[in-house]
Amino acid sequence: MTKPKVASDWLAGCAGCHMSFLDMDERIIELTKLVDLRSTPITDLKEPDESGVDVGILEGGITNTYNEEVAIKMRERCKILVALGDCAVFGGVPAMRNFPGAEEALKRAYIETESTDESGMIPNDPELSTPVHVRPVSDVVKVDVFLPGCAPSADAIFYVLAELAQGRMPNVDGEFNDWH
Amino acid sequence: MIQLTVNGQPVEVEAGSTILDAVRKAGFNVPTLCYHPKLVPYGSCRLCLVEVEGARTLQPSCVVPATNGQVVHTDTDKTKSAREFILSMIFSERNHFCMYCQDTDGDCVLQQAAYDEGMTHWPITPAYKPFMVDASHPDFILDNNRCILCRRCVRACTELVGNATLGFEERGSGSILIADNNVPLGESTCISCGNCEQFCPTGALIDRRSAYMGRETDLTYVNSVCMDCSLGCERVVKTRDNRLVRIDGNLDLGSNESLLCYDGRYKPVADNRKRITSPMVRRNDQLEPIGWDEALTAISVQLKAHASNEISAHISPRQPIEALSAFHEFFADHFNAEQVTLLGHDQTALTSAKLANEIGAFESDLSALKDCDIAIVLGTDLVKDHQVAGYFLKRQAMNDLKMFIANSTRTSIGDWSSNKLEYVGTDYAAVVDLLQSYAQAEDPDLPAKLQNLGFKPERAERILGQLKESQKPVIVIGKEFAKAENLPAFHKLVQLAREIGAKVVTLKGKGNNFAGALLGYKLDAQPMSTPVFYLALGDGHACDHTRDALAGSEFKIVQASYASEFTEIADVVLPCTIWAEQEGHYLTSEGKLGLNQQAIQAADGNLPVLDVMKSLANKSGLALSEAWRAAVEEKVAAIVLS
Repeated sequence: MTKPKVASDWLAGCAGCHMSFLDMDERIIELTKLVDLRSTPITDLKEPDESGVDVGILEGGITNTYNEEVAIKMRERCKILVALGDCAVFGGVPAMRNFPGAEEALKRAYIETESTDESGMIPNDPELSTPVHVRPVSDVVKVDVFLPGCAPSADAIFYVLAELAQGRMPNVDGEFNDWH
Repeated sequence: MIQLTVNGQPVEVEAGSTILDAVRKAGFNVPTLCYHPKLVPYGSCRLCLVEVEGARTLQPSCVVPATNGQVVHTDTDKTKSAREFILSMIFSERNHFCMYCQDTDGDCVLQQAAYDEGMTHWPITPAYKPFMVDASHPDFILDNNRCILCRRCVRACTELVGNATLGFEERGSGSILIADNNVPLGESTCISCGNCEQFCPTGALIDRRSAYMGRETDLTYVNSVCMDCSLGCERVVKTRDNRLVRIDGNLDLGSNESLLCYDGRYKPVADNRKRITSPMVRRNDQLEPIGWDEALTAISVQLKAHASNEISAHISPRQPIEALSAFHEFFADHFNAEQVTLLGHDQTALTSAKLANEIGAFESDLSALKDCDIAIVLGTDLVKDHQVAGYFLKRQAMNDLKMFIANSTRTSIGDWSSNKLEYVGTDYAAVVDLLQSYAQAEDPDLPAKLQNLGFKPERAERILGQLKESQKPVIVIGKEFAKAENLPAFHKLVQLAREIGAKVVTLKGKGNNFAGALLGYKLDAQPMSTPVFYLALGDGHACDHTRDALAGSEFKIVQASYASEFTEIADVVLPCTIWAEQEGHYLTSEGKLGLNQQAIQAADGNLPVLDVMKSLANKSGLALSEAWRAAVEEKVAAIVLS
């Protein structure tokens, strides 16, 4: 039997969920025996295989058009999509921006900060993606497994991946369901 | 009794019970948000919906009465999907992001309810509508963005505290929690008791000092009895890493029904006075640190060198009975000191004990205050002192409670009743005389008595006219009335109470005042300057008179936790543990013994009064008995009705 392929990526997050993934320490060796780790933000391969993967993992919320693209591509190329962490599941910290709105938040960040002089301006390069209303991943594409947490514990991540690798849908409950 | 079935299991509950009571008695659980065991059921959150066979819709179990033959199901597909829908709606309404809320993991009832339902995400995207945050209060913050509109705070403020500061403005999902007519909390009629904050199930009301200092599960709990006034409110002291984090009312113990006032909840945690860290002795007009043994030897030498009439000793009623007992035994019994007094000089307990000695036990416990139809409050303002006792009257004043108040100054408790008669003055003999006239059949002198006290006959008749027929009259005695000179009036009043079946509650000053009276402390004498003056201030305060007496003394010993004008002028300063660093008993106004458990470890060098007394006794070759309980309990039984 071939090992299931797993790919991950991050959207508007802090990378903490991926750090928590690494926090499983030597169990990562055990995990690589169960799964074929393909693209991740911390490995050389950056995009999920065009031929598709079995499990896609997304960290972070959707805050701009680029995040939307990445999420859609991951959804298209994976069979089971995992929303990893509070930002991917709920919108998380980036979603605080929704209360004042993106424009206010950018103005505060790029123009009004105490350390900014008169030349402060909101970046407007046409190559930059456009900010959108911050949403959880499930507002853009269908999510199959929600693993909340800020960050989810290494134990929870290991449990979810080990279950998926063995063809079972994980039941995120008890200590693994921790919204913080 | 009512018999019904819950999830197939028969259960019997008392008439008047709700379905929720029956469900819990049958050993099942239904999640709740707006329900709280201390509050009148309200039924606003709908989380406790259950299926009742024959009912058209799901029923809110916290408000629907249990009836005979009901068949209840708590865990069906219908109830589960209703609960998940309700939670989804609540989460979508405001900012309920757990990751940046202070109330998580065991603190938040909403989060727990979601966990219990197995929710891993929110099916409905939040509205992201910002609501008002009010950070104007020095002790807690009101964040409407975290509010679930359960109104537990409003109900605690009104039903339990009787203060009715909190309320709601606007309707439906736009409802916001406000103080008074939407004024900032810090400028409102709020009395900073914090009971709303304790009752809030989410992070909508958060304590400024304990916020983000640790989840409830990270904290260590110990039971404590408040020693600020003598109500002895039961509370839970929460600590982390040997620091006080917060204090909550104890939901399971005490006459205070989990309620606290500012002095019991926030004041002890806010205390940031400078601690004394080492024993000190005055040399060349400077206080210099020395070792404990040296300090105690210096005191011992002075005590031995002086005659008994040259020594006086004074202790704070905030000290536990163990310390009071040892202190009294050491100074009064062994040294026969001229004066051994309890600071505060509140004579209520002493006068009351004297009276009971003449006429037998007459005092009732605090429950008398919780259900009464006329309250006669003499010589105390229950809004300022013994506040929790005041809550019991205030919350009834919103209904039909009649109040008669006599005090030397206008009281604030009177403001809470439109059904009141208030006398401002100190002629308590005339006041008792007037009460007697109303309790008797006919008194031809009544008009003269009314005129003497400045009352209009119609108004007095409206309040006191029913005294004779009153079903649940209560008389509250405070400091001013219970002075020794009012003993004859007190005597007459208690006889009157017995005639009309009124319960008498006496409120006995601060902390362990009652115990002090029973242990033989002089409560009716102001400290005098003496050649040796021992002041065990502990973490308490003392009055200017005591300071002057100390200043006029020759050898001044001050045992205190904090630097103050008292320690400044002392010859020997002994660093003392604070209330949270020592364990000990307190005798409440109603004669119940409460235990204050040690919550944190004192820094090296701080010792409790009890330990110091033992060491001093040791240096004088004396042994202290440490036996106080039997004597205290026996004396209480002679004063308070069982």
